[in-house]
Amino acid sequence: MAGSAQNTAVPVGAEAKPAPPRSRLGRRRPGAFLDLSVQVGVVLALCLAWEAGARLGAINPFLLPPLTDVLARIGEDAASGAVFVDLGLTLYRALLGFFIAAVIGIPVGILMSRVAVVRWFFDPLLSVGFPMPKVAFLPIFILWFDIYDTSKVIMVAFSCFFPIAAATYAGTTGLDKWPIWSARSFGAKEVEILWEVNLPMALPQILTGLQVALPVGMITTVVTEMLMGGRGIGGSMIMAGRFADSVGVFAGIVEIVALGFLVVKSLELLRARLLAWHPETRR
Amino acid sequence: MSALRQAPAADGAAAPGASGIRIDTVTHAYRSPGRPPVIALDRISLDIGPTEFHALLGPSGCGKSTLLYLLGGFIPVQEGAITTPKGRVTAPGPERSIVFQNFALFPWKTVRENVLYGLRKSGVGREESEARARDFIALVHLTGFEDAYPSQLSGGMQQRAAIARTLAVDPKILLMDEPFGALDAQTRRVMQEELRAIWQRSPKTVVFVTHDVQEAVFLADRISIMSSRPGRIQHILDVPLPKERGEDTLESREFIQLSEHIWRLVREQAVAATRGRL
Repeated sequence: MAGSAQNTAVPVGAEAKPAPPRSRLGRRRPGAFLDLSVQVGVVLALCLAWEAGARLGAINPFLLPPLTDVLARIGEDAASGAVFVDLGLTLYRALLGFFIAAVIGIPVGILMSRVAVVRWFFDPLLSVGFPMPKVAFLPIFILWFDIYDTSKVIMVAFSCFFPIAAATYAGTTGLDKWPIWSARSFGAKEVEILWEVNLPMALPQILTGLQVALPVGMITTVVTEMLMGGRGIGGSMIMAGRFADSVGVFAGIVEIVALGFLVVKSLELLRARLLAWHPETRR
Repeated sequence: MSALRQAPAADGAAAPGASGIRIDTVTHAYRSPGRPPVIALDRISLDIGPTEFHALLGPSGCGKSTLLYLLGGFIPVQEGAITTPKGRVTAPGPERSIVFQNFALFPWKTVRENVLYGLRKSGVGREESEARARDFIALVHLTGFEDAYPSQLSGGMQQRAAIARTLAVDPKILLMDEPFGALDAQTRRVMQEELRAIWQRSPKTVVFVTHDVQEAVFLADRISIMSSRPGRIQHILDVPLPKERGEDTLESREFIQLSEHIWRLVREQAVAATRGRL
Protein backbone atom coordinates (compact mmCIF):
# COMPACT_ATOMS: atom_id res chain seq x y z
CA MET A 1 0.00 0.00 0.00
CA ALA A 2 3.02 2.29 -0.32
CA GLY A 3 2.30 5.74 -1.69
CA SER A 4 -1.43 5.35 -1.39
CA ALA A 5 -1.78 8.72 0.32
CA GLN A 6 -1.35 10.27 -3.12
CA ASN A 7 -4.71 8.81 -4.04
CA THR A 8 -6.37 11.82 -2.49
CA ALA A 9 -6.10 13.76 -5.71
CA VAL A 10 -7.88 11.08 -7.72
CA PRO A 11 -11.54 11.88 -8.30
CA VAL A 12 -13.88 10.01 -6.05
CA GLY A 13 -15.44 6.92 -7.52
CA ALA A 14 -12.81 6.51 -10.21
CA GLU A 15 -12.06 2.88 -10.92
CA ALA A 16 -8.39 3.81 -10.71
CA LYS A 17 -8.62 2.86 -7.04
CA PRO A 18 -9.40 -0.81 -6.76
CA ALA A 19 -10.04 -2.21 -3.34
CA PRO A 20 -6.84 -3.54 -1.87
CA PRO A 21 -6.62 -7.32 -1.99
CA ARG A 22 -8.14 -8.79 1.12
CA SER A 23 -5.65 -11.13 2.64
CA ARG A 24 -6.87 -14.66 2.34
CA LEU A 25 -5.87 -17.85 3.95
CA GLY A 26 -3.33 -19.76 2.00
CA ARG A 27 -2.47 -16.85 -0.21
CA ARG A 28 0.74 -17.98 -1.85
CA ARG A 29 3.76 -15.84 -1.31
CA PRO A 30 6.77 -16.49 -3.52
CA GLY A 31 8.67 -19.53 -2.30
CA ALA A 32 5.75 -20.85 -0.27
CA PHE A 33 5.39 -23.87 -2.52
CA LEU A 34 9.12 -24.59 -2.27
CA ASP A 35 8.90 -24.26 1.51
CA LEU A 36 6.06 -26.74 1.69
CA SER A 37 7.65 -29.27 -0.66
CA VAL A 38 10.92 -29.23 1.28
CA GLN A 39 9.04 -29.79 4.55
CA VAL A 40 7.04 -32.66 3.10
CA GLY A 41 10.27 -34.02 1.59
CA VAL A 42 12.00 -34.08 4.97
CA VAL A 43 9.11 -36.03 6.52
CA LEU A 44 9.11 -38.48 3.60
CA ALA A 45 12.89 -38.92 3.84
CA LEU A 46 12.62 -39.75 7.55
CA CYS A 47 9.87 -42.28 6.82
CA LEU A 48 12.04 -43.85 4.11
CA ALA A 49 15.05 -44.03 6.45
CA TRP A 50 12.83 -45.69 9.07
CA GLU A 51 11.50 -48.23 6.56
CA ALA A 52 14.92 -48.93 5.03
CA GLY A 53 16.63 -49.21 8.43
CA ALA A 54 14.12 -51.77 9.65
CA ARG A 55 13.92 -53.75 6.37
CA LEU A 56 17.67 -54.00 5.83
CA GLY A 57 18.16 -55.42 9.31
CA ALA A 58 20.17 -52.45 10.59
CA ILE A 59 17.73 -52.25 13.48
CA ASN A 60 16.06 -55.05 15.35
CA PRO A 61 12.50 -55.08 13.95
CA PHE A 62 11.12 -55.69 17.41
CA LEU A 63 12.66 -52.43 18.66
CA LEU A 64 11.67 -50.52 15.52
CA PRO A 65 9.19 -52.34 13.29
CA PRO A 66 9.11 -51.24 9.63
CA LEU A 67 6.80 -48.32 8.91
CA THR A 68 4.82 -50.36 6.37
CA ASP A 69 4.00 -52.94 9.09
CA VAL A 70 2.83 -50.14 11.35
CA LEU A 71 0.71 -48.65 8.56
CA ALA A 72 -0.70 -52.08 7.77
CA ARG A 73 -1.73 -52.46 11.40
CA ILE A 74 -3.42 -49.07 11.34
CA GLY A 75 -5.18 -50.23 8.17
CA GLU A 76 -6.41 -53.41 9.86
CA ASP A 77 -7.58 -51.49 12.93
CA ALA A 78 -9.28 -48.94 10.70
CA ALA A 79 -11.10 -51.74 8.86
CA SER A 80 -12.33 -53.15 12.18
CA GLY A 81 -13.21 -49.65 13.39
CA ALA A 82 -11.00 -49.89 16.50
CA VAL A 83 -8.85 -46.93 15.42
CA PHE A 84 -11.85 -44.67 15.16
CA VAL A 85 -13.16 -45.63 18.57
CA ASP A 86 -9.74 -44.92 20.13
CA LEU A 87 -9.13 -41.73 18.16
CA GLY A 88 -12.67 -40.54 18.76
CA LEU A 89 -12.46 -41.14 22.51
CA THR A 90 -9.08 -39.43 22.80
CA LEU A 91 -10.24 -36.49 20.69
CA TYR A 92 -13.47 -36.20 22.66
CA ARG A 93 -11.66 -36.13 26.01
CA ALA A 94 -9.03 -33.68 24.78
CA LEU A 95 -11.49 -31.27 23.16
CA LEU A 96 -14.10 -31.43 25.93
CA GLY A 97 -11.44 -30.70 28.56
CA PHE A 98 -10.03 -27.93 26.37
CA PHE A 99 -13.45 -26.31 25.92
CA ILE A 100 -14.25 -26.49 29.62
CA ALA A 101 -10.90 -24.85 30.33
CA ALA A 102 -11.62 -22.11 27.76
CA VAL A 103 -15.13 -21.48 29.09
CA ILE A 104 -13.74 -21.06 32.61
CA GLY A 105 -10.27 -19.68 31.83
CA ILE A 106 -11.22 -16.82 29.50
CA PRO A 107 -13.76 -15.23 31.90
CA VAL A 108 -11.34 -15.72 34.80
CA GLY A 109 -8.61 -13.93 32.83
CA ILE A 110 -10.97 -11.08 31.94
CA LEU A 111 -12.20 -10.74 35.53
CA MET A 112 -8.61 -10.76 36.79
CA SER A 113 -7.84 -7.71 34.68
CA ARG A 114 -10.96 -5.87 35.87
CA VAL A 115 -11.69 -6.92 39.46
CA ALA A 116 -8.99 -6.58 42.10
CA VAL A 117 -10.42 -9.32 44.34
CA VAL A 118 -10.35 -11.86 41.51
CA ARG A 119 -6.80 -10.82 40.66
CA TRP A 120 -5.67 -11.20 44.27
CA PHE A 121 -7.16 -14.67 44.40
CA PHE A 122 -6.01 -16.07 41.05
CA ASP A 123 -2.66 -14.34 40.50
CA PRO A 124 -0.77 -16.45 43.07
CA LEU A 125 -2.66 -19.57 41.95
CA LEU A 126 -1.56 -19.02 38.36
CA SER A 127 2.02 -18.29 39.40
CA VAL A 128 2.25 -21.51 41.39
CA GLY A 129 0.08 -23.63 39.12
CA PHE A 130 1.54 -22.75 35.73
CA PRO A 131 4.94 -24.45 36.16
CA MET A 132 3.54 -27.30 38.25
CA PRO A 133 3.26 -30.73 36.53
CA LYS A 134 -0.52 -31.01 36.50
CA VAL A 135 -0.51 -34.81 35.99
CA ALA A 136 0.76 -35.07 39.56
CA PHE A 137 -2.83 -34.40 40.59
CA LEU A 138 -4.11 -37.48 38.76
CA PRO A 139 -4.22 -39.78 41.82
CA ILE A 140 -6.30 -37.17 43.63
CA PHE A 141 -8.64 -36.72 40.69
CA ILE A 142 -9.08 -40.51 40.46
CA LEU A 143 -9.90 -40.53 44.16
CA TRP A 144 -12.38 -37.68 43.77
CA PHE A 145 -13.92 -38.37 40.38
CA ASP A 146 -13.53 -42.14 39.79
CA ILE A 147 -11.52 -43.75 37.01
CA TYR A 148 -13.81 -43.15 34.06
CA ASP A 149 -14.23 -40.24 31.67
CA THR A 150 -14.99 -37.60 34.29
CA SER A 151 -11.61 -37.66 35.96
CA LYS A 152 -9.81 -37.75 32.58
CA VAL A 153 -11.71 -34.76 31.24
CA ILE A 154 -11.24 -32.85 34.48
CA MET A 155 -7.53 -33.64 34.35
CA VAL A 156 -7.34 -32.20 30.82
CA ALA A 157 -9.39 -29.12 31.70
CA PHE A 158 -7.19 -28.55 34.74
CA SER A 159 -3.99 -28.52 32.67
CA CYS A 160 -5.47 -26.36 29.89
CA PHE A 161 -6.89 -23.79 32.31
CA PHE A 162 -3.56 -22.25 33.29
CA PRO A 163 -2.22 -21.17 29.88
CA ILE A 164 -5.67 -19.93 28.82
CA ALA A 165 -6.35 -17.87 31.96
CA ALA A 166 -2.81 -16.47 32.04
CA ALA A 167 -2.86 -15.43 28.36
CA THR A 168 -6.33 -13.87 28.65
CA TYR A 169 -5.25 -11.95 31.75
CA ALA A 170 -2.15 -10.67 29.96
CA GLY A 171 -4.15 -9.87 26.82
CA THR A 172 -6.89 -7.91 28.56
CA THR A 173 -4.52 -5.99 30.85
CA GLY A 174 -3.01 -2.70 29.78
CA LEU A 175 -4.96 -2.43 26.53
CA ASP A 176 -4.36 0.53 24.24
CA LYS A 177 -6.72 3.19 25.60
CA TRP A 178 -7.41 4.97 22.33
CA PRO A 179 -9.94 2.55 20.79
CA ILE A 180 -11.65 2.39 24.20
CA TRP A 181 -11.86 6.18 24.35
CA SER A 182 -13.20 6.22 20.79
CA ALA A 183 -15.96 3.79 21.66
CA ARG A 184 -16.79 5.76 24.79
CA SER A 185 -17.05 9.01 22.83
CA PHE A 186 -19.60 7.36 20.53
CA GLY A 187 -21.68 6.58 23.61
CA ALA A 188 -20.83 2.90 24.06
CA LYS A 189 -21.65 1.53 27.50
CA GLU A 190 -18.97 -0.23 29.56
CA VAL A 191 -20.46 -3.70 28.90
CA GLU A 192 -20.57 -2.97 25.18
CA ILE A 193 -16.96 -1.80 25.30
CA LEU A 194 -15.95 -5.10 26.91
CA TRP A 195 -17.55 -7.12 24.09
CA GLU A 196 -16.97 -4.79 21.18
CA VAL A 197 -13.55 -3.35 21.99
CA ASN A 198 -11.64 -5.12 24.77
CA LEU A 199 -12.20 -8.68 23.57
CA PRO A 200 -11.34 -8.09 19.90
CA MET A 201 -8.25 -6.19 21.02
CA ALA A 202 -7.19 -9.05 23.32
CA LEU A 203 -8.11 -11.76 20.81
CA PRO A 204 -4.58 -12.34 19.46
CA GLN A 205 -3.30 -13.12 22.94
CA ILE A 206 -6.34 -15.17 23.92
CA LEU A 207 -5.84 -17.27 20.80
CA THR A 208 -2.18 -17.71 21.67
CA GLY A 209 -3.26 -19.03 25.06
CA LEU A 210 -5.63 -21.48 23.37
CA GLN A 211 -2.88 -22.54 20.97
CA VAL A 212 -0.58 -23.28 23.90
CA ALA A 213 -3.34 -25.11 25.78
CA LEU A 214 -4.50 -27.40 22.97
CA PRO A 215 -1.30 -29.50 22.63
CA VAL A 216 -1.08 -29.53 26.43
CA GLY A 217 -4.59 -30.98 26.43
CA MET A 218 -3.67 -33.65 23.87
CA ILE A 219 -0.58 -34.64 25.87
CA THR A 220 -2.53 -34.77 29.10
CA THR A 221 -5.25 -36.90 27.52
CA VAL A 222 -2.82 -39.52 26.23
CA VAL A 223 -0.78 -39.61 29.45
CA THR A 224 -3.95 -39.90 31.51
CA GLU A 225 -5.22 -42.73 29.31
CA MET A 226 -1.86 -44.48 29.63
CA LEU A 227 -1.93 -44.23 33.40
CA MET A 228 -5.57 -45.21 33.80
CA GLY A 229 -5.99 -47.74 30.98
CA GLY A 230 -9.25 -48.40 29.14
CA ARG A 231 -10.06 -47.34 25.61
CA GLY A 232 -8.44 -44.40 23.87
CA ILE A 233 -5.11 -44.20 22.10
CA GLY A 234 -3.06 -43.93 25.29
CA GLY A 235 -4.86 -46.94 26.77
CA SER A 236 -4.43 -49.12 23.70
CA MET A 237 -0.73 -48.21 23.46
CA ILE A 238 -0.13 -49.27 27.05
CA MET A 239 -2.09 -52.45 26.31
CA ALA A 240 0.07 -53.16 23.25
CA GLY A 241 3.18 -52.48 25.32
CA ARG A 242 2.13 -55.01 27.95
CA PHE A 243 1.72 -57.64 25.25
CA ALA A 244 5.15 -56.78 23.81
CA ASP A 245 3.35 -55.71 20.63
CA SER A 246 5.79 -53.05 19.38
CA VAL A 247 3.90 -52.65 16.09
CA GLY A 248 0.81 -51.75 18.11
CA VAL A 249 2.75 -49.18 20.16
CA PHE A 250 4.12 -47.56 17.03
CA ALA A 251 0.67 -47.60 15.42
CA GLY A 252 -0.55 -45.59 18.42
CA ILE A 253 2.31 -43.13 18.03
CA VAL A 254 1.61 -42.58 14.33
CA GLU A 255 -2.11 -42.13 15.05
CA ILE A 256 -1.58 -39.59 17.80
CA VAL A 257 0.97 -37.69 15.69
CA ALA A 258 -1.56 -37.43 12.86
CA LEU A 259 -4.40 -36.44 15.19
CA GLY A 260 -2.31 -33.85 17.02
CA PHE A 261 -1.14 -32.31 13.76
CA LEU A 262 -4.69 -32.10 12.45
CA VAL A 263 -6.12 -30.52 15.60
CA VAL A 264 -3.32 -27.99 16.09
CA LYS A 265 -3.39 -27.04 12.40
CA SER A 266 -7.14 -26.45 12.53
CA LEU A 267 -6.69 -23.99 15.37
CA GLU A 268 -3.98 -22.23 13.37
CA LEU A 269 -6.38 -21.85 10.45
CA LEU A 270 -9.09 -20.59 12.80
CA ARG A 271 -6.63 -17.99 14.10
CA ALA A 272 -5.82 -16.78 10.59
CA ARG A 273 -9.55 -16.53 9.87
CA LEU A 274 -10.34 -14.61 13.07
CA LEU A 275 -7.32 -12.33 12.78
CA ALA A 276 -7.73 -11.48 9.09
CA TRP A 277 -7.49 -7.83 10.17
CA HIS A 278 -4.19 -8.32 11.98
CA PRO A 279 -0.86 -7.49 10.27
CA GLU A 280 0.46 -10.94 11.33
CA THR A 281 -1.94 -12.63 8.91
CA ARG A 282 -0.41 -10.85 5.94
CA ARG A 283 3.20 -11.76 6.62
CA MET B 1 -1.70 45.21 13.13
CA SER B 2 -4.68 47.50 13.31
CA ALA B 3 -6.94 44.80 11.93
CA LEU B 4 -6.37 42.65 15.00
CA ARG B 5 -8.30 42.86 18.15
CA GLN B 6 -6.55 41.32 21.05
CA ALA B 7 -8.96 40.22 23.72
CA PRO B 8 -8.11 39.29 27.29
CA ALA B 9 -8.75 35.72 28.28
CA ALA B 10 -11.98 36.39 30.13
CA ASP B 11 -13.62 38.22 27.24
CA GLY B 12 -15.62 35.56 25.44
CA ALA B 13 -17.25 36.23 22.09
CA ALA B 14 -20.57 34.63 22.91
CA ALA B 15 -23.08 35.83 25.42
CA PRO B 16 -23.45 33.64 28.53
CA GLY B 17 -26.07 30.96 28.08
CA ALA B 18 -25.62 30.84 24.31
CA SER B 19 -22.24 29.29 24.86
CA GLY B 20 -21.23 26.11 23.07
CA ILE B 21 -18.61 25.32 25.67
CA ARG B 22 -17.80 27.29 28.80
CA ILE B 23 -14.50 26.55 30.47
CA ASP B 24 -14.38 28.11 33.93
CA THR B 25 -11.03 28.40 35.73
CA VAL B 26 -9.98 24.85 35.00
CA THR B 27 -6.74 23.72 36.61
CA HIS B 28 -5.28 20.30 35.96
CA ALA B 29 -2.23 18.69 37.53
CA TYR B 30 -0.60 15.37 36.79
CA ARG B 31 0.51 13.76 40.01
CA SER B 32 2.92 10.89 40.33
CA PRO B 33 4.06 9.55 43.70
CA GLY B 34 7.32 10.94 45.02
CA ARG B 35 7.43 13.84 42.60
CA PRO B 36 6.06 17.38 42.65
CA PRO B 37 2.83 17.62 40.63
CA VAL B 38 3.12 18.92 37.07
CA ILE B 39 0.63 21.71 36.45
CA ALA B 40 -0.59 20.96 32.92
CA LEU B 41 -3.31 23.61 32.91
CA ASP B 42 -3.39 26.68 35.10
CA ARG B 43 -6.75 28.44 35.63
CA ILE B 44 -7.99 28.19 32.06
CA SER B 45 -11.13 30.20 31.31
CA LEU B 46 -12.61 30.30 27.84
CA ASP B 47 -16.03 30.64 26.26
CA ILE B 48 -16.50 29.07 22.87
CA GLY B 49 -19.57 29.98 20.85
CA PRO B 50 -22.13 27.41 19.64
CA THR B 51 -21.03 27.76 16.01
CA GLU B 52 -17.47 28.81 16.61
CA PHE B 53 -14.38 27.25 15.07
CA HIS B 54 -11.81 27.65 17.80
CA ALA B 55 -8.13 26.75 17.52
CA LEU B 56 -5.92 25.97 20.51
CA LEU B 57 -2.42 26.86 19.41
CA GLY B 58 0.74 26.26 21.37
CA PRO B 59 4.04 24.45 21.63
CA SER B 60 4.11 20.77 22.47
CA GLY B 61 3.64 20.11 26.16
CA CYS B 62 1.48 23.19 26.75
CA GLY B 63 -1.48 21.10 27.85
CA LYS B 64 -3.65 21.68 24.79
CA SER B 65 -4.32 17.96 24.38
CA THR B 66 -5.08 17.71 28.10
CA LEU B 67 -7.62 20.52 27.71
CA LEU B 68 -9.21 18.67 24.79
CA TYR B 69 -9.43 15.40 26.77
CA LEU B 70 -11.09 17.32 29.61
CA LEU B 71 -13.60 18.76 27.12
CA GLY B 72 -14.22 15.24 25.84
CA GLY B 73 -14.79 13.99 29.39
CA PHE B 74 -12.08 11.35 29.08
CA ILE B 75 -10.22 12.59 32.14
CA PRO B 76 -12.01 14.02 35.17
CA VAL B 77 -12.04 17.75 35.82
CA GLN B 78 -10.03 18.37 39.00
CA GLU B 79 -10.67 22.07 39.58
CA GLY B 80 -13.07 24.43 37.88
CA ALA B 81 -15.89 23.42 35.58
CA ILE B 82 -16.62 22.75 31.95
CA THR B 83 -20.22 23.20 30.81
CA THR B 84 -21.98 22.60 27.52
CA PRO B 85 -25.68 23.08 26.72
CA LYS B 86 -26.06 19.47 27.95
CA GLY B 87 -24.75 20.45 31.36
CA ARG B 88 -21.50 19.86 33.17
CA VAL B 89 -18.98 17.62 31.46
CA THR B 90 -18.23 14.62 33.67
CA ALA B 91 -17.95 11.79 31.13
CA PRO B 92 -17.73 11.28 27.37
CA GLY B 93 -20.99 11.89 25.55
CA PRO B 94 -22.20 11.38 22.01
CA GLU B 95 -22.80 15.11 21.51
CA ARG B 96 -19.03 15.62 21.78
CA SER B 97 -17.03 13.61 19.28
CA ILE B 98 -13.31 13.53 19.00
CA VAL B 99 -10.66 12.81 16.40
CA PHE B 100 -7.48 11.66 18.10
CA GLN B 101 -3.96 12.43 17.01
CA ASN B 102 -3.20 8.73 16.57
CA PHE B 103 -6.44 7.83 14.73
CA ALA B 104 -7.76 5.39 17.37
CA LEU B 105 -9.53 3.34 14.72
CA PHE B 106 -10.72 -0.16 15.59
CA PRO B 107 -8.06 -2.30 13.89
CA TRP B 108 -10.37 -5.34 13.65
CA LYS B 109 -13.00 -3.41 11.71
CA THR B 110 -12.83 -2.36 8.08
CA VAL B 111 -13.06 1.31 7.13
CA ARG B 112 -16.78 0.88 6.51
CA GLU B 113 -17.39 -0.97 9.79
CA ASN B 114 -15.43 1.70 11.67
CA VAL B 115 -17.62 4.47 10.26
CA LEU B 116 -20.77 2.42 10.87
CA TYR B 117 -19.85 1.82 14.52
CA GLY B 118 -20.33 5.44 15.54
CA LEU B 119 -23.52 5.74 13.49
CA ARG B 120 -25.07 2.58 14.94
CA LYS B 121 -24.17 3.66 18.47
CA SER B 122 -25.93 6.99 17.98
CA GLY B 123 -29.08 5.13 16.98
CA VAL B 124 -29.07 5.82 13.26
CA GLY B 125 -31.02 3.17 11.32
CA ARG B 126 -29.29 0.53 9.24
CA GLU B 127 -30.02 1.91 5.79
CA GLU B 128 -29.39 5.51 6.74
CA SER B 129 -26.12 4.43 8.40
CA GLU B 130 -24.96 2.67 5.24
CA ALA B 131 -25.77 5.70 3.12
CA ARG B 132 -24.05 8.12 5.47
CA ALA B 133 -21.01 5.87 5.78
CA ARG B 134 -20.74 5.80 1.98
CA ASP B 135 -21.03 9.60 1.77
CA PHE B 136 -18.45 10.32 4.41
CA ILE B 137 -16.00 7.74 3.09
CA ALA B 138 -16.32 9.45 -0.28
CA LEU B 139 -15.84 12.83 1.38
CA VAL B 140 -12.44 11.80 2.74
CA HIS B 141 -11.56 10.19 -0.61
CA LEU B 142 -11.48 6.61 0.62
CA THR B 143 -14.02 5.20 -1.83
CA GLY B 144 -12.64 1.84 -2.96
CA PHE B 145 -11.07 1.19 0.44
CA GLU B 146 -14.29 0.51 2.35
CA ASP B 147 -13.35 -3.11 2.98
CA ALA B 148 -9.72 -2.49 3.86
CA TYR B 149 -8.54 -2.92 7.43
CA PRO B 150 -6.67 -0.01 9.05
CA SER B 151 -3.41 -1.99 9.01
CA GLN B 152 -3.65 -2.11 5.21
CA LEU B 153 -3.79 1.70 4.93
CA SER B 154 -1.15 4.40 5.14
CA GLY B 155 -1.14 6.72 8.15
CA GLY B 156 -2.82 9.49 6.20
CA MET B 157 -5.59 7.19 5.00
CA GLN B 158 -6.16 5.88 8.53
CA GLN B 159 -6.52 9.42 9.79
CA ARG B 160 -8.99 10.25 7.02
CA ALA B 161 -11.01 7.17 7.97
CA ALA B 162 -11.02 8.35 11.61
CA ILE B 163 -12.21 11.80 10.51
CA ALA B 164 -15.00 10.25 8.45
CA ARG B 165 -16.06 8.10 11.42
CA THR B 166 -16.32 11.17 13.66
CA LEU B 167 -17.90 13.55 11.13
CA ALA B 168 -20.51 10.96 10.12
CA VAL B 169 -22.26 11.15 13.50
CA ASP B 170 -22.62 14.93 13.03
CA PRO B 171 -21.80 15.87 16.63
CA LYS B 172 -22.82 19.21 18.14
CA ILE B 173 -19.29 19.65 19.39
CA LEU B 174 -16.31 18.44 17.38
CA LEU B 175 -12.98 18.03 19.17
CA MET B 176 -9.88 17.54 17.05
CA ASP B 177 -6.41 16.78 18.37
CA GLU B 178 -3.91 17.66 15.63
CA PRO B 179 -5.94 15.53 13.25
CA PHE B 180 -3.93 16.41 10.17
CA GLY B 181 -0.51 15.87 11.75
CA ALA B 182 0.08 12.56 9.97
CA LEU B 183 -0.98 13.79 6.54
CA ASP B 184 1.32 14.91 3.75
CA ALA B 185 1.23 18.61 2.81
CA GLN B 186 -1.16 18.33 -0.16
CA THR B 187 -3.61 16.04 1.62
CA ARG B 188 -3.53 18.29 4.67
CA ARG B 189 -4.44 21.31 2.55
CA VAL B 190 -7.35 19.44 0.93
CA MET B 191 -8.60 18.18 4.30
CA GLN B 192 -8.38 21.68 5.83
CA GLU B 193 -10.53 23.10 3.05
CA GLU B 194 -12.97 20.19 3.36
CA LEU B 195 -13.23 20.60 7.11
CA ARG B 196 -13.91 24.32 6.82
CA ALA B 197 -16.52 23.63 4.13
CA ILE B 198 -18.20 20.91 6.24
CA TRP B 199 -18.31 23.26 9.20
CA GLN B 200 -19.93 25.96 7.07
CA ARG B 201 -22.54 23.57 5.72
CA SER B 202 -23.39 22.30 9.18
CA PRO B 203 -22.19 24.82 11.76
CA LYS B 204 -21.09 23.39 15.08
CA THR B 205 -18.63 24.05 17.85
CA VAL B 206 -15.18 22.95 16.78
CA VAL B 207 -12.17 22.91 19.09
CA PHE B 208 -9.10 22.25 17.01
CA VAL B 209 -5.74 21.61 18.66
CA THR B 210 -2.68 22.34 16.55
CA HIS B 211 0.85 23.67 16.70
CA ASP B 212 0.72 24.82 13.08
CA VAL B 213 0.13 28.61 12.96
CA GLN B 214 -1.06 28.69 9.33
CA GLU B 215 -3.47 25.83 9.94
CA ALA B 216 -4.94 27.66 12.93
CA VAL B 217 -5.34 30.92 11.01
CA PHE B 218 -6.80 29.24 7.94
CA LEU B 219 -9.38 27.21 9.87
CA ALA B 220 -10.40 29.15 12.95
CA ASP B 221 -12.60 32.09 13.85
CA ARG B 222 -10.72 32.58 17.06
CA ILE B 223 -7.36 31.35 18.24
CA SER B 224 -6.18 30.79 21.80
CA ILE B 225 -2.42 30.91 22.11
CA MET B 226 -1.20 28.80 24.98
CA SER B 227 2.04 28.82 26.91
CA SER B 228 3.59 25.79 28.47
CA ARG B 229 4.51 24.76 32.01
CA PRO B 230 2.11 25.70 33.41
CA GLY B 231 -0.33 25.69 30.50
CA ARG B 232 -2.07 29.05 30.29
CA ILE B 233 -3.97 30.93 27.65
CA GLN B 234 -1.77 33.92 26.86
CA HIS B 235 -3.74 35.52 24.04
CA ILE B 236 -7.11 35.10 22.40
CA LEU B 237 -7.24 36.49 18.88
CA ASP B 238 -10.08 36.97 16.43
CA VAL B 239 -9.39 35.91 12.89
CA PRO B 240 -10.99 38.65 10.75
CA LEU B 241 -10.86 36.67 7.51
CA PRO B 242 -13.91 36.10 5.30
CA LYS B 243 -16.07 33.09 6.22
CA GLU B 244 -15.49 31.49 2.84
CA ARG B 245 -11.89 30.42 2.71
CA GLY B 246 -9.94 28.75 -0.03
CA GLU B 247 -6.76 28.79 -2.02
CA ASP B 248 -6.75 32.62 -2.35
CA THR B 249 -7.16 33.11 1.40
CA LEU B 250 -3.66 31.78 1.87
CA GLU B 251 -2.25 34.46 -0.42
CA SER B 252 -4.24 37.37 1.02
CA ARG B 253 -2.43 40.15 2.87
CA GLU B 254 -4.54 39.68 6.00
CA PHE B 255 -3.74 35.98 6.20
CA ILE B 256 0.00 36.53 5.84
CA GLN B 257 0.10 39.43 8.31
CA LEU B 258 -1.97 37.62 10.89
CA SER B 259 0.10 34.45 10.54
CA GLU B 260 3.30 36.44 11.06
CA HIS B 261 1.88 38.24 14.07
CA ILE B 262 0.74 34.98 15.66
CA TRP B 263 4.00 33.30 14.81
CA ARG B 264 5.84 36.00 16.78
CA LEU B 265 3.52 35.51 19.76
CA VAL B 266 3.99 31.73 19.66
CA ARG B 267 7.71 32.13 19.33
CA GLU B 268 7.80 34.36 22.42
CA GLN B 269 6.09 31.57 24.35
CA ALA B 270 8.47 28.97 23.04
CA VAL B 271 11.53 31.08 23.83
CA ALA B 272 10.23 31.86 27.29
CA ALA B 273 9.54 28.18 27.91
CA THR B 274 13.03 27.18 26.78
CA ARG B 275 14.60 29.82 29.01
CA GLY B 276 12.51 28.71 31.95
CA ARG B 277 13.77 25.17 31.54
CA LEU B 278 17.47 26.05 31.23
